[in-house]
Amino acid sequence: MSPAATAVDLVRTYGRWDAAVRALDGVSLEIPTGRFTAIMGPSGSGKSTLLHLLAGLDVPTSGRVLLGDTDLGALPDAALTRVRRDRLGFVFQAFNLLPQLTAAQNIDLPARLAGRRPDPAWRTALVGLLGIADRLEHRPSQLSGGQQQRVAVARALLGRPEIVFADEPTGNLDTTSGHELLGLLTRSVHELGRTVVMVTHDAVAASFADQVLLLRDGRPAGSLVDPTPDTVLAALRDLTAGVPA
Amino acid sequence: MTSLSLRLLRLGGPRAWTTAGLVGAGVAVASALLAVALGALHGLDSREARTGWRTPAAAAPGEPVIAQVRTRVDHAAGKPITQVDVVAPGPAAPGPATPGPAVPGATGPGPATPVPSGGTTAPPGLPRLPAPGELWVSPALAALLRELAPDALANRYPGPPTGLIGDAGLRFPDELVVVIGRPAGDPVLTAPGDSRVVPVASFARTTVPAEDEGYRQLTIVAVALVAFPIAGLLGASARLTATRRGERLATLRLLGASTRQITVVAVAETTVIATAAAITGFLLEALVSPLVARIPLAGGGWFAADVRPSVLVSVGAVVAVGLLATASAVGGLRRVVVSPLGVARRQQARGVRLVRLLGVVAALVVFAIGNSALRVVDVEAAGLVMAAVVLALFGAVVLVGPLVVRGVGGWLGRRESVPALLAGRRLQDDPRAAFRPLAGVTLAIFVAGFLAPLSATAWGATQRDDHTLHVRAGTPDQATTLLARAGIGADVRPAAGERSSGVDVRPVDPAELDRARTLLAPLAPGTLVQTDAEASGQNAVLLDDLRRGVLVVLVATFLVAATATGTAAAARVLDHRHTLRLLRLAGTPVRVLEQARMRETAAPLLVNGAIALAFGLLCASPFTAATGVLAPSGLIVLGSVLLAGTAAVLAATAASRPLLRSLTREDQERSL
Amino acid sequence: MMLRGTGVTKRFGPTTVLSDVDVEVAPGETLAVTGPSGSGKSTLLHCLAGILVPDDGEVWLGAERIDRLSDARRTDVRRQRFGFVFQFGQLLPELPAIENVALPLMLGGMRRRQALERAASWFPALGIDGFQTRRPGQLSGGQEQRVAIARALVTAPAVVFADEPTGALDSDTGAHVMDLLCGLAVRTGTALVVVTHDPEVAARCHRTVVLRDGVLRDGCVPA
Repeated sequence: MSPAATAVDLVRTYGRWDAAVRALDGVSLEIPTGRFTAIMGPSGSGKSTLLHLLAGLDVPTSGRVLLGDTDLGALPDAALTRVRRDRLGFVFQAFNLLPQLTAAQNIDLPARLAGRRPDPAWRTALVGLLGIADRLEHRPSQLSGGQQQRVAVARALLGRPEIVFADEPTGNLDTTSGHELLGLLTRSVHELGRTVVMVTHDAVAASFADQVLLLRDGRPAGSLVDPTPDTVLAALRDLTAGVPA
Repeated sequence: MTSLSLRLLRLGGPRAWTTAGLVGAGVAVASALLAVALGALHGLDSREARTGWRTPAAAAPGEPVIAQVRTRVDHAAGKPITQVDVVAPGPAAPGPATPGPAVPGATGPGPATPVPSGGTTAPPGLPRLPAPGELWVSPALAALLRELAPDALANRYPGPPTGLIGDAGLRFPDELVVVIGRPAGDPVLTAPGDSRVVPVASFARTTVPAEDEGYRQLTIVAVALVAFPIAGLLGASARLTATRRGERLATLRLLGASTRQITVVAVAETTVIATAAAITGFLLEALVSPLVARIPLAGGGWFAADVRPSVLVSVGAVVAVGLLATASAVGGLRRVVVSPLGVARRQQARGVRLVRLLGVVAALVVFAIGNSALRVVDVEAAGLVMAAVVLALFGAVVLVGPLVVRGVGGWLGRRESVPALLAGRRLQDDPRAAFRPLAGVTLAIFVAGFLAPLSATAWGATQRDDHTLHVRAGTPDQATTLLARAGIGADVRPAAGERSSGVDVRPVDPAELDRARTLLAPLAPGTLVQTDAEASGQNAVLLDDLRRGVLVVLVATFLVAATATGTAAAARVLDHRHTLRLLRLAGTPVRVLEQARMRETAAPLLVNGAIALAFGLLCASPFTAATGVLAPSGLIVLGSVLLAGTAAVLAATAASRPLLRSLTREDQERSL
Repeated sequence: MMLRGTGVTKRFGPTTVLSDVDVEVAPGETLAVTGPSGSGKSTLLHCLAGILVPDDGEVWLGAERIDRLSDARRTDVRRQRFGFVFQFGQLLPELPAIENVALPLMLGGMRRRQALERAASWFPALGIDGFQTRRPGQLSGGQEQRVAIARALVTAPAVVFADEPTGALDSDTGAHVMDLLCGLAVRTGTALVVVTHDPEVAARCHRTVVLRDGVLRDGCVPA
């Protein structure tokens, strides 16, 4: 199967003058379709930058991002916006729900922005799977952190996106809710056939993924297949000790 | 999308309501003022519709003439009385309008002109065309006639009042006006004086008096002056909305909302608030219109209905405010980037170049050329030259503003105190943004500086001789005899100065002025007996109005500018809340931050205000130099308005202090 | 001068964020506070630095108890006795670097010229000589943090508090910044408290304390 997303020689520098910082320094990789991929690395390793570039939220200084066969670099802003809306889903650390809208309205928001009606059967199935059927008329402030994040997952999955991007999705959750959420992401990959890319600095969270890609100082630093918390921790220790994994 | 953004607004939380309220209040006040200005235009129109016939258009050659009309201003008890003499056409041939008193005598028989009968020939407010000998008076004049002794007023007229003039024929409720029917060939037709005798074919056709046109143009200038700070206010408001809703807007972008959709969301709030506030403002004006109607303009107050703009105009104005809001909001948003990862201020080089000084130099050159040109060109061209000079200096004030802000910033930045340093660096960072909320006030101060000496000149005009009556015919002996018979002591001498004939009479007791003039009137039939001050009264009224208008516009622009500055200050606190909070955590007293904010408003306001005032005075100098008379009272009023306005702008800046304090609170969650 | 917190407890509403924490740091000593996010690290820093007032417990700077001082006095203590380095965004964007560094001195009443001279003397030690007149927007993240360190140290404070000082930097730059910060603290006899979730950063300090759910898990040094 062709990869869901491909990065080719990605470079991203920040800052001006002679003081530019290379947040990503030549990254090439493939995100396999129908798999749960975690991206890890110490702070400053460029993992969030990589996610933003793959998701078309940021523009690389050089290099290319392919989403399926679409070259994101060639798209104007309006087309990028449509790609985000129609082909991608997002679950971020801050739940990113609009506090004025009910859970149901939040879930339907991307479809409304696109001027489409959500598929009712799929919506019902999702809401049931995520266990928020009885919370649909609540506002975010009336929901727990875990419930809010599940609403965000439902919103991300409703449009049947090619890839769901998750940036520290458990960062604001307690351990139990975090594990439940990761379980849901895993099921959406294995039972619903989605592709999920998650950035995390938590070894336990990463162990839910099918594979882990490691970054250090803006460069790829190896990968793990079928990770466990222990293998992830060991790989991270090697990274910070400066030994290539 | 619009319904979505409205929902975002509705549940925006208390802080959203505070800022919405601030912006709404500013726009409501501004709209109420706009309504007053439009009401004044409407009122001028209504007045004209009712009284335009007093200054009619001349009948075209060959048209049947129904009457000859002469309108003049008489005086009694120190008040002006509009006197309209309606002379029956008689056997005289209807000729073209002839200016001045040199109306050809009623010589030679002409073709008999059929006088159309019926209501269409009656002037507004009167049941019919006044017949010779008839006397129609306004209710206020009827009261005055009862109040004053007959030899002080009533004896000037051919008889007792025939009836009252209805509201449809009055400029304003308390107007003193008399319409007198005269027989053909009456001396009024040939009596000397400044007014024209006009043969009319109908009372429907009118011309607009020159001074009314002047009022109209000045009112439009006032509207423009108020619009300036409103636009600044709305732009700041939209930016505030975008920054405050940063996370939500970024979320919407993340979920695939296009830039256009985001703009709609961010702008809808400002548009809705502005439109609602504009409606409130117009309703408010309708509510207080009886009070507004008491403000005298062009000689008197108004009928309350006059000063309410028509429904159509009101709706149009509300729509215009809404559109202005949308446009300014979109403009304000251009300085903000809403990306899926957050909202940021657009970083652009925001320099101000010294080239602007060339504009000032150019304006001064225009002024110098215009000033010398004024001495040689005729009156018609002088108006154009004057307009060019005013526009040039006006433009120079706007052009130099940001440059002045930059200079003030540099000066503050070199000071010892920390607040001055912070304020100065901020002003240097983006002088244009810092100037924007102050632009309206600066322009208003310019106008004030321009008009203050002129209105002071008007004050000088009212100081002209108000005791010596000038009779345009007769001899000193005749006058002395008449006065002695009535027992009035007076200093009587032959007319002096530019007058070639007549008598100057100065009653010993100023209270005898009205009796004396009533007695002396028959010496010069058809003329009015007046003092110099009364004769120039029209000008004094106009300039008095100007001064009042300047005050109203100043107060208005200061109010709107205060809300604009306040909103911009709040927007800046939100823009920099992260850094401000960290500064406070690191032990910077919040007082220091507040003082810096006050200085970054006060310093450029004072300096720009001073420059604008100087340019305004310069602009007026060609006129004031001639008289050299300044009215201390007028300048004191002007000065206190300037002081109070500056205080209001500073208070509005200080109004975001609670916002600053709460946003930088130590125990705030780290969500910032 | 010793900074000491005893029995420090802080609640936000019904949640107890810090529970009975004892911690102390001596002049010239560097202390790392680590723990997962939400463990109360930053709250502890805020309590020790006189930013927040603990609900229970005491905070002493030498012989002075600072948690019972008035709001204004605590502000003075923060400005005069403490220095701060935050993750990012602490420099005023309109001011050149040197004026940002001189700001605390001028706030303390020092003459402008003298403050600028004193501020300038810190730039070579931090490896940012020549960047005095640049504004924060013209500096890299690492340079910005060095300016922030200069600003924290310029008043010769008793304690410097650093909250994730390398959080916005790549690891090499972060390591350099930490070396500078720790080295200067030791050399000037300043106590240093660093809040971080990065073990690499914590490893550069003399001691590490670990917080979990608001409770101190002894002062073990991580592997």
